[in-house]
Formats: sequence, C-alpha cells, structure tokens
Amino acid sequence: MAILVNRDTAVVVQGMTGKEGRRACLAMTEYGTRVCCGVTPGKGGEMIEEKPVFNSVAEALAAFPEINTSAIYVPPAAAKSAMLEAVNCGISLLNVIVERVPIQDTAYCLAAARERGVRVVGPSSLGIISPGLARIGVVGGPLELAREIFRPGSVGVISRSGGMTNEVSWQFRRAGFGQSTAVHIGGDLLIGTSYRELLPLFEQDPQTLAVVIFGEHGGTQEFDIVELVKTGQFQKPLAIYIGGRFAAAFPEGATIGHAGAIVEAGKGAAEKEALLRKAGVMVAEHYEQLVDLISRKVALSP
Amino acid sequence: MNLYEFEGKDLLSRYGIATPNRVLVRAAGQAASAYRALGHTRVLVKAQVLSGKRAALGGIRRCASAEEVADAAAELFAAALGGFPVAAVLVEEELALTSEHYLSLTYDTSSRCPVFLYGQVGGSGVEQRLEAVVKEPLDIRQERVNALIPFANELWQCFKAEDTRLIEVNPLAKTVDGRWIACDAKVALDPDAGFRHDSWAFYEPRGALGRLLTQREKLAAAIDSGPAYYRGTAGKYIDLDGDIGVLFAGGGASIANMDALAAVGLTPANYCEYSGNPPREKVHALAKVVLSKPGLRGLWIVGGVANFTSIVETFAGVVDALEEVKPSYPIVVRRAGPQEKEGMELMAGCAARNGLRMQLFGKETSMSDSAAALASCF
Repeated sequence: MAILVNRDTAVVVQGMTGKEGRRACLAMTEYGTRVCCGVTPGKGGEMIEEKPVFNSVAEALAAFPEINTSAIYVPPAAAKSAMLEAVNCGISLLNVIVERVPIQDTAYCLAAARERGVRVVGPSSLGIISPGLARIGVVGGPLELAREIFRPGSVGVISRSGGMTNEVSWQFRRAGFGQSTAVHIGGDLLIGTSYRELLPLFEQDPQTLAVVIFGEHGGTQEFDIVELVKTGQFQKPLAIYIGGRFAAAFPEGATIGHAGAIVEAGKGAAEKEALLRKAGVMVAEHYEQLVDLISRKVALSP
Repeated sequence: MNLYEFEGKDLLSRYGIATPNRVLVRAAGQAASAYRALGHTRVLVKAQVLSGKRAALGGIRRCASAEEVADAAAELFAAALGGFPVAAVLVEEELALTSEHYLSLTYDTSSRCPVFLYGQVGGSGVEQRLEAVVKEPLDIRQERVNALIPFANELWQCFKAEDTRLIEVNPLAKTVDGRWIACDAKVALDPDAGFRHDSWAFYEPRGALGRLLTQREKLAAAIDSGPAYYRGTAGKYIDLDGDIGVLFAGGGASIANMDALAAVGLTPANYCEYSGNPPREKVHALAKVVLSKPGLRGLWIVGGVANFTSIVETFAGVVDALEEVKPSYPIVVRRAGPQEKEGMELMAGCAARNGLRMQLFGKETSMSDSAAALASCF
C-alpha cells in the first residue's frame, strides 16, 4: 500500500534540463519510478536521459495522459509559474523540490492548489519514498544507499528536514524495521502538506503500523497533531522528536536551520512537547530515541 | 531580515500610512540639533534596536528640551538594551492619544494564508492580551482589503509589494484630534524574495540575533551571495559564547545536534550549517570561518546520512581548511552518505599528515553518540 507514491505514480519533471532535475530523473528511474518526460520552456524537443522534454506541462500531458505527479526542479524565481502551470493542468500531486521560494509565491500557489484539489508537498522538499515501489526526488540518495536505508515495512516517516528523513529512516532500518512511506514535508514557514494531512493517510494505510515525526521549533504545525489524536483521526502509535530546545536561549525572531524554524513565544520545542505528551503522543528526548519508543509498541516487521 | 523601526516607518509612509514626525540620529552629538530641527516641544527619544520589549527595557524616553534629548540620546547610545546594540536613535513628536490598537499582517503556518490580526488593545505587553485580537485570514491573490480597520488596505499593498513576512503596527493609535497614526513599526522582509528587490542591498547588514554581524558572520554571509546563491547553502553562521567549534551538515540535523551538544554538557562556539550539496569552495570558506575563532578547545564535524550531498566534495572543503589551520584540539567527525568512503579516507589522510587528534565515525554511530565521544575527550 504505502501513501502518496506507488507503482501507479507517473512523473513529469519540471526543470529536467537543469543539473538537479537531470540527476533527479536518473535517481527516480533507477529506483523504478516511472518518469514519463520533462518540461522546460523553450527546450521542447530535447532528450534528457532518454526522456523527451516538452515546452509546457500541457504538451507533456497530451503525450503522457497518465502523468499524475510533478517533481519541480526550477530556480526559485521560476517556481511560482512552474507550480501554477502544474496546478492549472490539474496534476494531482506536486512535489516542489525548489528551495528559497519567496513565501508570497508559495502562499499564492497553495491557494490556487487548494481550489483545484491539488496536493502540494513542499516547497523545499527533498522528495517522497515508498520503499520498493517508487520515489519522487532523490530522497535516499544513490541507489545502493537508498536500498540500504529503505526497505518496505511498517513505519511511516514524516520529517521537516531532508537529511533527517534519511537519518531517522536509517535508525529504524538499523533496528530491523522497514518503512511504509517517508515524506520530507520541507522546513519552510508555509508548506503544502503537513502532519494534519499525512497522519490520516497513514491511519488509512494498512501497511503502516506506526508513525514517527522529526519536527522542529517554530510554526504551529505540531499543535495540529494534538487535535488529530484527541479526535481519534489518528490512533496508531506515534512518536515525535522536536528539535530546537537550545533555541529557547535565542531571541525571538531568530531563524535557525530552516526558514520555518523561527523562534517565537509559546511555539518552542518545550511548549509543543508538553501539549503532545498530554495528548498521549510519545515524545523523544533525542532523535535516536524514536526507535526505542516505537519498539515498545510495534513488533519488528518480517 | 528584520527592519529597524525607522526603516519600517519609512516603508509604511511610502504606502500612505501616517506616521509621526521624526528625525533619525546616528550619533549622540547630533541629537540636540535634530530636536530643534523637528520643532516639537514634547518628543520621544527612541532607541533603534531589533528587539521587542524595548519600552520595558527603558529604550523610550520622554523629553521636552534639547538638553534632555541630548542626555537621553547619550544614555541610549551607551546602553545595550537587553544585549542589543543601539544602531540609532529616533527623535519623534509625542502625540496626545485617545486609544491604542494592535494591527499586524503575517503568514499563518496553520491556515497557510496571510492573516490580519487586529485588536483594540495595543501598546506594550500586547502578548499578554492576545486573546482580544481578532484573526482574519486573507487570500494572497486578492487585490484589495476592504476592512473597516484604518490603513488595512495600505498595509496590504505594502505587505505584498515589499515581500514582507511580517508587518506589525503596535500601537496604531488615534490622536485627540481624531487622526489614525502608526506609532511603531516592526517589519520583517522575506530574504528569499531578495532577487526582486535590488533596494534591499542598501539596508545595513544585521545578524539573526538582532545585533550587528560579527566579522566572522559577515565573511560567512558572503559565501552564499552571487548569481548561484541558491546552489547549496554554506553561509549560515552565528557566533555564540561556547568553546566547541561546530560544522553541521543539514538544517534539521543542525537543530538536533545543537540539542545533542547541550545534552552532553558542551557549549557551541558557533552555530552553522551547510546543506544542499554545496561545492568544495563554499564549504572551505565556511570551515575557515569556524576554525578562525579564537579559544576553541574542540571541533565537531557532524551530519546525518546525506541524500545527495557528496561527502567527498564537502569534506574536501573541510580538509582544505584543516590543512591551513592544523588544530591541536580534539576533532570528532560523524557523517554518512554518497561517497562516504572516499570522504572518510580524505579526512583520515589529512589527520595522519598533520598529526590531528581526530576520531571518525560513520552511520553505525549515531550523531548523539559522537557528541558523547567528543565530550569524553575532556
């Protein structure tokens, strides 16, 4: 099963003629993801890694009507038009890999996506992987490493950090677990998909027996979890680590690590942990402890 | 980037939002003549600091003569309000007010929209009265805001055109003669929109912590400038008070590792982070900045299992800096990911050539355990 990406995923890479887009095309293809084609305005007709490049998403869809996912690899100044193009074409899942998208552009595209019922993961996402089925982006890294870290299994992984998506998944793999799907939601202040969308998906997914989250101080997304758990929309074992205790010593308004990891009154790691604990969520003191917490609730998957 | 009050007010003025008459003073000696030029008897002398709670820290003085203004300015320039240096002083007319309201525009992470916050409860200490603030979500695509709130539409135009992440007017006050006026302004610009705002280059550089940038922070900030600014990041560096130099790979890992370092009783001499597969030159420049800090007694080079950041490429940059400095204090390295074998060999070779006291760990050791390994060196 898994969530978001699977064997039916068919991808267009917007910005495939760039260095990162080309590398992502290779990384996805070698993992078994179906990459149909790429889009770069003005470069239609070129071939990248044996895949055709089109001038627009509409042209790509005409040639490959099965496309249901766009991986977006364009420079930040072009991100808004690329996202809007995919939204307007009604592609159901956008995985926006672009970093440093102006927040106003993100807000604009998320509003448009909401209207069209399009799911956006990112910006500043590194990708999504459903082990053994498919991956979007380069999450997991080179094929050999991705296979070492990711195996099909029972743990859903949600992370605000790309590196920690891998690191946390590796801690579970090392302890003998596999993963259902690992999603890097991105560390920006505004992101298209967060815990409140993903936890219900993991709840519905029979393969997923538990979920772990690498969260950060700043923003309010961790507070949404409390609501989901209280209302029973998420009932599986859930363990979370929230980075940034040290930030309590920093002045308000300072940004550390990711754009969304901003020091705000009442939104620090400690405040979030207290509320989550009260709702019955397992809270890890350090990220390595996530494995111990889940091990108490879920047997190793075969 | 957070703006000083005077910068914020200048910005709001351009969008038709009324602000008090004021003169900016850059040195205490100019304060008396600024007061005379302003031509108001009763004035406020306001320290320009990137800190909230300015009033509570004594950063706003009421004056009614050139002598009082000169004394107040001299005191404020000499003070560091809550550790924040005073960049300038604003001499501003004191208005007779009948009410003080709170008004701000920012992005809400939950609704993923801009939100208007408005309350008839402005002034210092508004954080304690936030329940009285009305939250109004907006669609960033809307052209105008038709609210009864004074200056709502002017603020909206400014918010969008200037790519701000936050505009806070506290208080938005009503004067006894019935005018609405923005008595304070807190504005944060979105650094990611800098590519469409050439004018931002004219703002003086400032640090993430509200103080002026240190020399090392300035050197680091320059690393990610230029046309390829978004190709890998290596310019996030903050000087701190501890004695352990850190070189963190990855934004999320950097946050986890700041916590992990504190957990083993060590204190960082800096915060920094490189990520997104930066080229060797960027990492070299950042490592040089980290190693240049005097008084280090340890170095922690740590990151998670990288997705696509090349360990050999980034470590080559670190090694370039280590070859130049040849530190005598203990160094602990923990890293994994693409080309990790070659990267570790490079690091080990550097340690052997230069007699460095270095311990190398891969993904079989967790990041927290490598922090413990460093702590056990002391």
